[in-house]
Amino acid sequence: MTAAPDALCRHCLLPVGRRGFTRTVNGEGCQFCCYGCCIAHQVNSGSGDASEAAWFLVRLGMGSFLSMNIMLFSLLVYSGAFSGADRRVLPTIHLLLWGLATPAVLILGEPFLRETWSQARRGRLTSSALIVLGSLAAYAYSTLAVFHGGGHLYFDTASMVLMLFTLGRYLEAAGRARASRDLAPLLAAESELATVVEGVQEHRRPVREVRAGMLIRVKPGERIPVDGLIVEGRSHTDDAVITGESRQIAKAVGASVLAGSINLDGPLLIRSSGAGSDSRWAQICRSVRDALRQSSRTQRIADRLVGAFVPIVLALAGVTLVYWVQRLPLDQAMLTALSVLVVACPCAVGLAAPMAHSLGIGQLARHGCLVRSPGALEALACTPVIAFDKTGTLTLGRPHLVDLASDGVAEDEVLARLAALERHSEHGLARAIALAASARGLDPIAAEDVQIVAGRGLRGVVHGESVAAGSAALMRELGWVLPPALFERAELMAASGYSVVYVGWSENALVGRTRAALSFDDTPIPEARATIDALRGLGLRVMLLSGDHAGAAARVATTVGTDEWQADLLPEAKRAALDQYRARHGAVAMVGDGLNDGPGLAWADVGIAVGSATDLARESADLVLPVGGLWLLPWVVGRARAVRSTILANLAWAFGYNLVALTCAVLGLLQPILAAAVMAGSSLLVVLNSLRLERLPGPSYPSAPQLSAAAQAASDPQPREQGQRRELAWLKAES
Amino acid sequence: MTYYALLFIAGFAGSFHCIGMCGGFACALGADARGASATSVRHLLYNTGRLTTYCFLGGLAGGLGQAICTSLGSRSEPGAPLLSASLDAGQRALAVMTGLLMIVMALRFFGVRGWHRVKSGFGGSTLVISLRSLLGKRGYAAPLAFGVLNGFLPCPLVYAMVAQAASTFDVLSGCLTMAAFGLGTFPAMLAMGGLGRLLAPSWRQRGVRLAGGFILALGLVTFGRGVLPMMAGHGLHHLWHIA
Repeated sequence: MTAAPDALCRHCLLPVGRRGFTRTVNGEGCQFCCYGCCIAHQVNSGSGDASEAAWFLVRLGMGSFLSMNIMLFSLLVYSGAFSGADRRVLPTIHLLLWGLATPAVLILGEPFLRETWSQARRGRLTSSALIVLGSLAAYAYSTLAVFHGGGHLYFDTASMVLMLFTLGRYLEAAGRARASRDLAPLLAAESELATVVEGVQEHRRPVREVRAGMLIRVKPGERIPVDGLIVEGRSHTDDAVITGESRQIAKAVGASVLAGSINLDGPLLIRSSGAGSDSRWAQICRSVRDALRQSSRTQRIADRLVGAFVPIVLALAGVTLVYWVQRLPLDQAMLTALSVLVVACPCAVGLAAPMAHSLGIGQLARHGCLVRSPGALEALACTPVIAFDKTGTLTLGRPHLVDLASDGVAEDEVLARLAALERHSEHGLARAIALAASARGLDPIAAEDVQIVAGRGLRGVVHGESVAAGSAALMRELGWVLPPALFERAELMAASGYSVVYVGWSENALVGRTRAALSFDDTPIPEARATIDALRGLGLRVMLLSGDHAGAAARVATTVGTDEWQADLLPEAKRAALDQYRARHGAVAMVGDGLNDGPGLAWADVGIAVGSATDLARESADLVLPVGGLWLLPWVVGRARAVRSTILANLAWAFGYNLVALTCAVLGLLQPILAAAVMAGSSLLVVLNSLRLERLPGPSYPSAPQLSAAAQAASDPQPREQGQRRELAWLKAES
Repeated sequence: MTYYALLFIAGFAGSFHCIGMCGGFACALGADARGASATSVRHLLYNTGRLTTYCFLGGLAGGLGQAICTSLGSRSEPGAPLLSASLDAGQRALAVMTGLLMIVMALRFFGVRGWHRVKSGFGGSTLVISLRSLLGKRGYAAPLAFGVLNGFLPCPLVYAMVAQAASTFDVLSGCLTMAAFGLGTFPAMLAMGGLGRLLAPSWRQRGVRLAGGFILALGLVTFGRGVLPMMAGHGLHHLWHIA
């Protein structure tokens, strides 16, 4: 029986791939990617007397018993314990060895034989074919030697090779399962059960059946299954999977909780605010599952190499046999060929990339970062340039009032009228104005007859007087006077990158006059500077690609410390800029909020969306950071690099190990049993090397000093003042 | 023979240590419904399985010791379990290493923790849990398989003895070393299984100390063989008797 190739292995949660098969464990059909996972799963799931897992262990135990006895007697024979006077017992010993070896080979070799057979019927040769061929050849030769006399016996080789490979595969699977430990809750999420309260009764139901408005009970220590509001109880939650930051947050009645976070210390009753399968948590889980099913380029190359490896090794073993048989007795030549077969088993190569990937994806997911394909991690690791979108990514995307220049009127008066007008606007600046007005304690006043002048601003009537707010063009269109001093100050504001709004009104039904100019600014987010510094510390070039005008882009670029910036870019121009960087540096990653830079994210080699769960961003970004998770980026880059270097090290080890061992085997320097041990060792090495990724530290939010340094840089007026002076000189020269 | 007798006694004393984990298993293996003889067979099979693993480990360790010494250019004949033959450089180095290992192990029996418990991340704990599923199975294959796998469970006593086996530089002697030790654990383990009665904790404590003492003595002697090459077989024999 074979499994669907895109399913995930029951034990190690990696894709089962082409070698996968289905086995019934405890009456349940389970899919496994390899024999090792099958063993490990059966060993772990053993419970009750009737379990097949127990039967499996009995088989392993018996196999070990037999092969250990074979090994013992063989060792004694080799070490010369039966020489001299004891020589006549040798035939009996040989017969005994045969009696022990036959069941041992059958018991231990059966799974390998079965795999070889099922693959061979589909015209494929896998590495188990090598093991089967090797051990069966040794067994057959030795059996002939027992019954037709002469020659050495290699029953120990046959059984120990099988046992070592079984052991190697078990250890490998155990290691892989540990690597995917972070992923297990993610993959189980959809089938997780939630305690639904209906009246006085409580039912356990799958999360996907939970609808909005249902009451869910969550015990301390449990994962909150759906988004919702707390209706009863108080507790602390850990939202690391959603926000990336692992800390306890106090929650009481009325507070909202997010699916996926852990309820730490108190029982909660939650009213679900959406269907169980719509939460961000469910989306995270689905995308992780999708990501795991894909394989990266490195992995595909490695798989193709392994596919080509087996026939080559068979040929090599044949050549080795033919070569040595002319120089050595048949049995020794055969043993050499056998070592070649056994040592070339490319188990570790197939393991090199997926294990590191699943570790990386799992750890990122635990901090709320989604990786949509394993290839994205590798691509991010070798990207030398990161381009940022400005608004909403490096800045809060919420402008605030910076300066107000008035022409002899009170600031409060200006703000009050402006606020009255802007209440009718949806413009981004309207919020900033309302905030500024309420900060000064101004009471809202009513405006009538408000019209939006497209692309220019607004006009309306306040207290019976006509009021207008917008660009200088609007003022000119209205024919209102714009005092030169005010205009000069406003131009200065615009030159240093602020958005400028003119406000004017008529008095006593006369022609209106422009009374004030206000400048607005979008603040960089607090951790932007620390993040950019950290990225530059990682050797990356950081670019700013903004659709905003040059002044604003330049100021943000200086504040957060990017290497280069480009402004006034339309989406097509952003793509051209990305192409330019790609041509110059090889590859480029783009970070955006996914709202207005979807095309840019899709165009870059790695698109990183921050804080957006919108479908567009999920479609176009390869990596999605949680809301407010820009600070995680350096950690993500570091992690991606660690994953990539682990994969490369794994491949180097696996291939290097195989090649060196293969050379030794071809030259006849390696005993088959030692060869098998060497192979088990190489798998173990790859597993342990990958598990080193587990030890890397988690992300840490920029510390207070880092943030304050950034804030200082942001408020440092020095560069701006110089700029102003220069602009001023230029303006004077012009006039 | 003195040597093997000593190992047997070490095993016997050490089996009070085994009662902790393996004894629990032996108890859980329980009685066979088909009567006393079937029960005895069951326990005998379990212990045979354990002994097989020990012998295998011993043989392997001895073989490894032999291989290392041969590759280091040892000229003296292999197989010096009775401490009579003098050792060459390679064997001495190995003796020092295994001796130190045994001393460290022995100190652990007296409560001295030289290093943190070796983490058997994948393997040990998983195996223990899964082994429980074998206990209830009928038939004779299960107890044997159980014993075999049980033998691989991490145990400082076994490690110390394997180290001793490695310092014999011979397959047969290594195998016999472990066999003597394993047979030494038979009486207590069989009694545990048959009677299912736990010994008083104070007795267990004493047994564990005694086993630790034996291992310490063995370790010191092995170490001594490495660093005191001048001491001839006789002197060491003398030491043995004192120990």
